Amino acid sequence: MKNNTFKLILIAVVALVSVWSIWPTYRDYALTKKLNSFDSRADSLKFALDHREEIEQAHDKSLKLGLDLKGGMHLVMEVDILDLIEQKAWNKDENFNRIMDSVRQRAGESNENVVNILAAEFRKKNIKLSRYFYDVRDSDQEVISKLNAEAQDALIRAKEIIRNRIDQYGVAEPVIQTQGSRRLIIELSGVTDEARVRRLLMGTAKLEFKLVKEPQQLLRAVERVGTVSLQAPSRPAQADSAQASAGEVVAKKLSEVIGVMPNGQVFTPAYAHDLVAAALKRDDVNALLPQDTQLLLSAKPEQTANGEKYYLLYLVQKTPELTGGVITEAKATFSSQDSQPEVLMSMNDEGTSKWARITGANIGKQIAIVLDGAVYSAPVVQSRIPSGNSVINGIGSLEEAKDLEIILKAGSLPAPVRIIEERTIGPSLGSDYIRDGLLSVTWGFTAVVIFMIIYYNKAGIAADLALVLNILIVISVLAGFSAALTLPGIAGIVLTMGMAVDANVLIYERIREELADGKSLKMAIDAGYNKAFSSILDSHVTTLAAAFLLYVYGVGPVQGFAVTLMIGTAASLFTAIVVTKVLFDMFLDSKLMNDKSFG
Amino acid sequence: MRLFQKSNINFMGHRKIAYVFSTVLILVGLVSLFVRGLNYGIDFKGGSEVVIRFEQSADVGTVRSIMRGAGVKGSVKQYGMDRSLLIKTDFQGDTSTLKSLISNSLATQLPSNPAEILSIQAVGPSIASDMKMSALKALAAALIGILLYVSIRFEIKFAAAGVVAIFHDVLMVLGLFSLLGGIFDYMPLEVDQSIIAAFLTIAGYSITDTVVVYDRIRERIRGQKPSDYERIFNESLNQTLSRTVITSGTTMLTVLVLFFFAGPAIRGFAFAMFTGILVGTYSSIFVAAPIVFDWQRRAKNPIKLKGA
Repeated sequence: MKNNTFKLILIAVVALVSVWSIWPTYRDYALTKKLNSFDSRADSLKFALDHREEIEQAHDKSLKLGLDLKGGMHLVMEVDILDLIEQKAWNKDENFNRIMDSVRQRAGESNENVVNILAAEFRKKNIKLSRYFYDVRDSDQEVISKLNAEAQDALIRAKEIIRNRIDQYGVAEPVIQTQGSRRLIIELSGVTDEARVRRLLMGTAKLEFKLVKEPQQLLRAVERVGTVSLQAPSRPAQADSAQASAGEVVAKKLSEVIGVMPNGQVFTPAYAHDLVAAALKRDDVNALLPQDTQLLLSAKPEQTANGEKYYLLYLVQKTPELTGGVITEAKATFSSQDSQPEVLMSMNDEGTSKWARITGANIGKQIAIVLDGAVYSAPVVQSRIPSGNSVINGIGSLEEAKDLEIILKAGSLPAPVRIIEERTIGPSLGSDYIRDGLLSVTWGFTAVVIFMIIYYNKAGIAADLALVLNILIVISVLAGFSAALTLPGIAGIVLTMGMAVDANVLIYERIREELADGKSLKMAIDAGYNKAFSSILDSHVTTLAAAFLLYVYGVGPVQGFAVTLMIGTAASLFTAIVVTKVLFDMFLDSKLMNDKSFG
Repeated sequence: MRLFQKSNINFMGHRKIAYVFSTVLILVGLVSLFVRGLNYGIDFKGGSEVVIRFEQSADVGTVRSIMRGAGVKGSVKQYGMDRSLLIKTDFQGDTSTLKSLISNSLATQLPSNPAEILSIQAVGPSIASDMKMSALKALAAALIGILLYVSIRFEIKFAAAGVVAIFHDVLMVLGLFSLLGGIFDYMPLEVDQSIIAAFLTIAGYSITDTVVVYDRIRERIRGQKPSDYERIFNESLNQTLSRTVITSGTTMLTVLVLFFFAGPAIRGFAFAMFTGILVGTYSSIFVAAPIVFDWQRRAKNPIKLKGA
């Protein structure tokens, strides 16, 4: 009996802790409901202010919902470490490019460390890494460790910069993690404007100031480039949606989509923009241009009198005069002249003096302000600028200008990033999921509870009580450890209900057998618990192991399932064995049970 | 209430029939796996999926032709049972273009029936192949872990037979997914991450059932002559039959609830679990124990079991 007192206290403590842990979730729900019940906004605001602390506390400790239930974005981004490595290399030749191509292909197929892939490819070709990287005297090992440090640094910097941008944009509780050597996992809940978030995350904001070449040079360059075919000679242009739709445009030579205006400006119609942009990146096109120059398109289209849109082409010096690294401050605003959105920027000391020198030396010439490879504006330098101020105009909207401000301030990413996985769940689907999930839990619970009572009579009631405690424990552990509840997690709870009674079924069947052998009720119960224990342990260990592996190897939502399954299974060891046994002992003492109680 | 009270079924006597039955079913599944293959979801294949919901039910054919007109290459299918449709295309890094393409073309061509984009998922090929590897690793690790654990608790014959039973169960479900994949709009039976979750749970569940039977055999076999083994195996199976069926029953009950109530995202998982539990229950009686028995008869030496 003394033993049972201890067990009773234990059960009471577990139950109390569970309720205590779930309580904020209930309060959060009740308070939110109350807030929404007021007729006027003033009333609800007053209530919110009066109960501010309570509301915040409840919300803070309540059960968190996963992205699929709440709505939001789950992104996996890849930092193009290879691009970074390529930039680090010198002496690049045919051989190097060929090796890089195969490295890129292999890197695209897995999450393996790029530096390792690179080293392996070089070793296969029997070429020393130091031929292209760092000092010629470095051993392969030294080069690898330097490149690895560089790659690791780039990933961490990319993570910080992205966190900066998200924080400035303002998303509640963002999750940003690194995965492996080059991936970032980003979870943003309750995002409404995904396109904007994507722009913020992907924006490399590579700002460059480049000298624009003379008009005659531009015309000559366009003439030479015009003879090239629009489609890449060997492999077709990479299929993305924009090009796929523009791909129907039948044009053979570049000259067919590039025109010259009477004033000497060179343009391409809007429908051909993507094709031309892709063509201008090709090596065979760039080879036709003068040394250290490139052709760039304008960022925003211009419009003719009759509404046709076109983009301008610029021939600029490839080596930038100055880059965005010198920018210290950025501010989105409207221009004083035509109230168009623009971004004002100021530079650090080094940038300021360089900028003064550059502008001073190029009075009367055009300097292009290039952002991510597109020309935003190309103003003619009127005078030397000593203040270190510059401005980006030609921006579509104030929103875009604000995003640009955020990105410029947060700094540019060390290497380009790509989205390789995206899952966006709208809020209405999330509430559907919640409804479906609750419905399943209710029906699953009802079905199991009724079945146990029909099949096992009073003993079934004990198992049902244990089941209630089990579910309480699962939810309270989730809430207590701030683990998010997902739809698969709810499925895990429903499944756990079916499996949690397994231990009780094992015990009860055993007790029935012992009773059939003619043992007394008390002896049968004791024997049932003792003899069934080994099977229960084995079955729980195997289920736990499977769930654990799922947690380790699974991703995202599936982990939610694994977590609830693990908690539920572990909890059922306690609820199905300890709780029901105590209940039976109490029933026996108070003569509430007889031989018929096990059905 | 009692089912199977004092059942006395000669399981061991009919084990050859069960072997043939299982082998035939698995072979059919394997043939289907080679011929039809599996209907992989985007988790493992890569690609983009967009779920849209219309205000009133929309004709799939109409939407399909609108999508083709808009340049969205891929398939359009009913999603679940309500007014939702699922559009599948190749992987798109920039889903906002895809999104605006879909919503614009629908807004202009079906103005009377507004559509809402419920979710967008895009998985790149490198992630997809990664997930496939992780799934295989998880399954392999689960099988090895179970093999080791059961070997320690019983002996290698029992463990190996248990793992054979798991293979049996997973292959059967996989075969069923291959045979029925893509046939019903109500449940497309795509193999994705949630199915791997189902397989691992099935593996855990199958060995649970098997272990309960083993446990009973171990308890009864101590000090018995090998000539009595067939009787003991039979009696053990009969004694645990009620428990085996009842727990499978309660779990299947909850899985059925998931199948019908938890929505289309869980349906494939629920289907896999349901068939998996069904087959797992069958295999613990007709596959695992008989294999131990036959193996034992060939080995000649009496069973020496560890543990309690």
